[in-house]
Order: sequence, then structure tokens, then C-alpha cells
Amino acid sequence: MNNKKAVLLKGLLGDNTVLSSLMVISPVIVCGNTLENAIALIYAFSAITFFSVIIGSFVPKRLPYAAKIIIYAIISSIVYIPVKTVAREFFPDVVTHVGIYFPLLAVNSLIVVQSETKFYRMSRASMIPSLVFYILGFDVVMIVTSFIRELLTYGTINGKLVDADTLISGLGLPFGGFILLGLMCGIYRKVRSVIRRDSGETGGDGNVSGN
Amino acid sequence: MFLVTELVALLATNLILTQALGTSTLFIAAGNKKNLLWTAITITVFTSVGSGAAYIINWLLPDTFADLTLLFYTLMVGAIYVILLTALYFAGSDSFETTRKYVHVSAFNCAVMGTLFTITDRADAYPQFNTFFNFVFSGAEAGTGFIITAFMLTAAFRKLNSAKVPASFRGFPAMLVYLGLISMAVYALR
Repeated sequence: MNNKKAVLLKGLLGDNTVLSSLMVISPVIVCGNTLENAIALIYAFSAITFFSVIIGSFVPKRLPYAAKIIIYAIISSIVYIPVKTVAREFFPDVVTHVGIYFPLLAVNSLIVVQSETKFYRMSRASMIPSLVFYILGFDVVMIVTSFIRELLTYGTINGKLVDADTLISGLGLPFGGFILLGLMCGIYRKVRSVIRRDSGETGGDGNVSGN
Repeated sequence: MFLVTELVALLATNLILTQALGTSTLFIAAGNKKNLLWTAITITVFTSVGSGAAYIINWLLPDTFADLTLLFYTLMVGAIYVILLTALYFAGSDSFETTRKYVHVSAFNCAVMGTLFTITDRADAYPQFNTFFNFVFSGAEAGTGFIITAFMLTAAFRKLNSAKVPASFRGFPAMLVYLGLISMAVYALR
């Protein structure tokens, strides 16, 4: 994989938004238990994050840090309004079901904090594809988590009954989300370290203790 | 008995363990006990003051403009953010470099915004909760719940990051599974 491609795919594979950086995990843990929820949240997250980060890139860099953070949050809160209006048309039940997690997508750390430390240090031409892959990083994890949880909790795939022998109802609850995400996070890091070792790359494993 | 009942209530309504709100912030701050405590205290300030202000916003904002709630909450949290930074600057400009990072981490995250929306939802469902005092009390309760979870994580932090845990699961993955197990226990309490 050449260097340019690796940088582009970083948000999806090397530094996944959810599994590596642990950003935007609340909606995945609580609402990522059916594919229907996942699709609505993916739409909202992708639209809000993409447009907010793009618009936020026009905020003057010389402003104090706190002022920029507040402006980014205001921009995403404004972008949230049309996104919610459209969501109400296409996913009326999910918007009600997801409840407070819908507006919370607008204050996700990818927009409010990481945009300043990651995206706005790049040129706009390289920022846009990188941003798309960071968004896709969330989308893929949301889909995979929801698929597994819906199948094992309700025995359905996107609401359609399948022949599942064993159901684990707890997996659909927040504690099931915590445990499944923890396991996925560990598997992701194992796979990443094997790939890095094979390709001779070096990099941290996200260990917070330094051990 | 009162303390036990209150502790159970705090756990049962805990925003991290029941709604996964503020988990990322908790993990970011978890690396250092001092960071964790100060972040939790700053979040409590935001949730308590913010909840009081949210009550006023809900009271002033007509139902037809409900979609603007997030924008007004954001403006209000932004105002608290600036006021807190200014207060810390004048309280001790020497320690400002250290203390301001807690405000930066605590201002805009799911723990604060989630608290405001959760309390508002509860007030809509149960009109008897729709008082200024209840909003502030619930905000403080949510912040206290964050502090309790922070202590729970601190207690196990070293073990979850020890060399005995397989390298791939050391740190964040182990902490997620640990919070999941506590969340399961809290679910049984409800």
C-alpha cells in the first residue's frame, strides 16, 4: 500500500474512528442494536459531520481555541436542523426511537475536537477524502455491530426473521453493546498489529497506560 | 439506609452505565487519577449549571421551535465554557495552563449534552419533574454519577492495563468490557 493511500485509509483501518480512537461510541453502544437504527444514524452522522467539518474549515485559524470549538459546535447544531427534518421524512420511527442520541451526533468529538487536531492541519484537497474515510470508519463499525446484535438479539436481519437457534437478549442492551464493542476493539487491534508486523510498520496499540 | 438507597438510585440513573454517555471522555481522562477527578468535577459543574439554564431555555422556547433546542443548548454551554475559563484565569493565572484543559475536555461532549436532553425528556414525560430545582438537582446527580463511575474505573485501571492482559485487549478494550460488566450489574439493580 503506498503512503498516500495509507494516509487516506487511516480513518477506516489504521485509526478507526470508533475502534481505535473510541470516538462517537455512545450511539453504537446504545442504538446500534438493529440495522434500521444503524442506517438512520449513519445517515445523520455522515451528513452532520461532513458538512460541519467542511464549513468549519473556513473559520479563521487565528481565533482562540475555545472560540473555535464553540463556533464548530454552533455550526454542527445548525447543520443538524435540516438533517433532522430529512430524517423525520425517511426514518420517522427511528428518530423517535433513537431519541437523545440523534442530537448528540452533532456534538461528536470528530467535529468538535478532532477537526482542529486532525483535519484543519491538512490542505482542503487532502482533508475531504481523509474526512470521508473517518466517517466511513464509523459507518462500517455501526453496520457490523448492528448486524451482529440484531441477529443474536432478535434473530432478524433488517427486520426479516432468520433461522437463528441461539438468541442472547442482553446483547441488545447497553451492557451487551459495551462488551461486544470491547471485544471488537481487541480483535481490531490484534488484526492491525499483525498487519503492521507483516508490513514492517511501527505504531502504538492505543494502550493508555504505557505498559 | 438513606445513603444506600441514594447510592442505588445514583447507580441506576448513572449516565455512563445505563446510557453510555461520556464514556469517551472518561477513557481520555482515565490515564491519570488527578485528571479523572478534575474532569469529573468540571463535568458536574457543566451538568448542574447547564441543567438550570436548560430549564430556562425550555421554558422560553415555544414547542414549534423544538428543533432549535440543540442550538440554544450549544450557545448556553458555550457561554458557560467562556465564563468558566475567564473565572479560572482570574482565580489563578499561574495554574490556568493546567486547569483550562479540564474545561476544554468537559464542555462539549455527550455527558453534558446527554444530561440536558435526558432531563428535558424526563420532564416532558413526568410534568412533576419540570421545576428549576429538579433540573439543577438532576444535573448535579448526573455529574455525581460520572464521579462514581470514574472512581470505579480508577480502582481497576492498573489491572486493566497490566502486562497480564493480552496486549490487544490491554487498555481501552478491557475498560469497555469492564464497564459492560458493571453496567450489567447496575441493570440488575433497576
